[in-house]
Amino acid sequence: MEPSSVVVSAEPRRRLHPLSPLLHSAKSLVVIVAALSWSTLSRVGLGRFSLLVLVLLMGAAALSVISWFNTGYHVVGRELRIHEGLLWRRTRAIPLERLQAVEVVRPLLAQLTGLAELRLEVVGGGKAEAPLAYVSVADAVALRDRLLQLAGRAPVPAEAAARAPEGVEPGTVPVVAPPVAAVPQRPLHAVSNRDLIVSQLLTPQALFLPFGLAFVVAQFLYEASYGFIAIASTLTAMAGVILQPARRVLEDWNFRLARDAAALRARHGLLETRAQTVPLDRVQAVTAVWPLLWRVRGWLRLRLDVAGYSGGPEQEGRNRPDRLLPVGDLSTARAVVLEVLPGVDLAALPFGAPPRRARWKHPLARAVLGAGLTPEVFAVRSGLLARQVSVVPYARIQSVRVVQGPIQRRLRLATVHADTAGSPGAAAVDRDLAEAWELAAELTARARAARLAR
Amino acid sequence: MSEERATPERGAEERAAEPPRAAGERGITALEPWPETVRWQAVSRDLIWVELLQLGILVVVVLAGLGIGWAVSGHWLFGFGLAVTLLLTLWRVSAIVRAVRAWGYAERDNDLLVRHGLLVRRLSIVPYARMQFVDVSAGPLERVFNLATVQLHTAAAASDARVPGLRPAEAARLRDRLTALGEDRAEGL
Repeated sequence: MEPSSVVVSAEPRRRLHPLSPLLHSAKSLVVIVAALSWSTLSRVGLGRFSLLVLVLLMGAAALSVISWFNTGYHVVGRELRIHEGLLWRRTRAIPLERLQAVEVVRPLLAQLTGLAELRLEVVGGGKAEAPLAYVSVADAVALRDRLLQLAGRAPVPAEAAARAPEGVEPGTVPVVAPPVAAVPQRPLHAVSNRDLIVSQLLTPQALFLPFGLAFVVAQFLYEASYGFIAIASTLTAMAGVILQPARRVLEDWNFRLARDAAALRARHGLLETRAQTVPLDRVQAVTAVWPLLWRVRGWLRLRLDVAGYSGGPEQEGRNRPDRLLPVGDLSTARAVVLEVLPGVDLAALPFGAPPRRARWKHPLARAVLGAGLTPEVFAVRSGLLARQVSVVPYARIQSVRVVQGPIQRRLRLATVHADTAGSPGAAAVDRDLAEAWELAAELTARARAARLAR
Repeated sequence: MSEERATPERGAEERAAEPPRAAGERGITALEPWPETVRWQAVSRDLIWVELLQLGILVVVVLAGLGIGWAVSGHWLFGFGLAVTLLLTLWRVSAIVRAVRAWGYAERDNDLLVRHGLLVRRLSIVPYARMQFVDVSAGPLERVFNLATVQLHTAAAASDARVPGLRPAEAARLRDRLTALGEDRAEGL
């Protein structure tokens, strides 16, 4: 099982926290109840329903214990190795130089038991996310700092591995490395919870909820069918509608952004607190969005993209360390962007509009579309209703594409894409053809200059 | 090998490295940007046959289905379908011929250019330094015509640098050159 390359630093494998199977089975309780659904409950009655849940829960618990018993992790050289599986043994080796971000997540249950989950964002397709669920908070923080240190340019693997304690009893989880010298953190910004709630009330879902509710109530009054299932299902559907704003509020509660020398640290969450650490040199793109309804207050949202991406589209935007500013006004956003991308002023980006003949393709949005080059970044603007500005540093551009569709050919227009890893990149839509070629040449040259300068 | 090839393209390198604003004054046509600095190479014309055969197989299956349907039911819609299929096939054949002729690639000192497409025209500029890995593949039909496809992958999923219709020797040369250049200039993200 052990690869032969392990020579120097065979650090003992360590288990996850012994309480983790308990937490995992508690989590599966929710899944089981949801899978059995309301209609099963009403059909089989409460007694048999709870018996069914209990049986399934026991099964899930047994599986979690087995999985816990067979899961281990250790740092070997500049890799984190995670061993798991009973029948299909799997060893995942995560090269730390590809580490994009580390996240310490504490779901509600984990908060009660003093545990945390460690998530790693790694470059590369497929299942990029490697969660360690669960370890104690002290371990998680220590391991995070150690991984980030190893992931940094400084080559310290041998020394770090040598410091690991010897002869660990299985089952107990000692503190890994001696705590790394605490890095001074400078708070950047804190989002007020009042603004957060107001901002989520200013979403279409929240605004339409009263109408939906009124409609349902009216229907009940006229039809007079107060069945248990009807009410329960309606409530579930209602919860589904407001799920997104509610989840945003819960997730972004108490949003605090700080930075130390080389990384951004975001901390947020009400039920599940998350502490995300993104090294600044891994930021691929920053996007600012002005949703239509937020314009009343002049608010915007900032998002950042890192290269690691996890899972399929259903996880899109959930587990990614992408929050830079859940809600804020322009001056705040400018300050934050200035910290993340030095020298970039969000309010003073030079946008050039596409030529006038582009109005045949975009009768309304032509004035909104824009693209511009600053000394540091490529910036594009789009979106008539929800205005969006994306900013890509030249050093992060992976490739440049020029695309011309049939209508664009007639109008002598072309679209220039700057592709980055793990984000949609930035596209300058419908530029004049000559300008597009020039833009592509400039982007290529500047990207190359930025790469060489590093 | 890559050294000798690189020398005549030195001009491209200097062009790309000069201050960006100076890049404006050039003769520009719709399909060929920077005509004086880029030497486009066409892909093999045999690719036309590969794509025509692939189309042919599909068309034969569709025609057989429609023909049987027509023979059994005698409904005029099947005959109409046959005619439409034949028309579409004719159009597609001419599109394939022109599309393969339009496909081209150019190796500059620091990046690979790939252009393709007729209806939607695309040009990709992929720096060698951004290469993650190179795929060389050859399907059964491609093998019959002694062709191969080289695809360059970067960390960005949207990057699109695929060169079909290369002779195996040329494909191997391109792969080796890309790999060598990628190793020279590779960086992390």
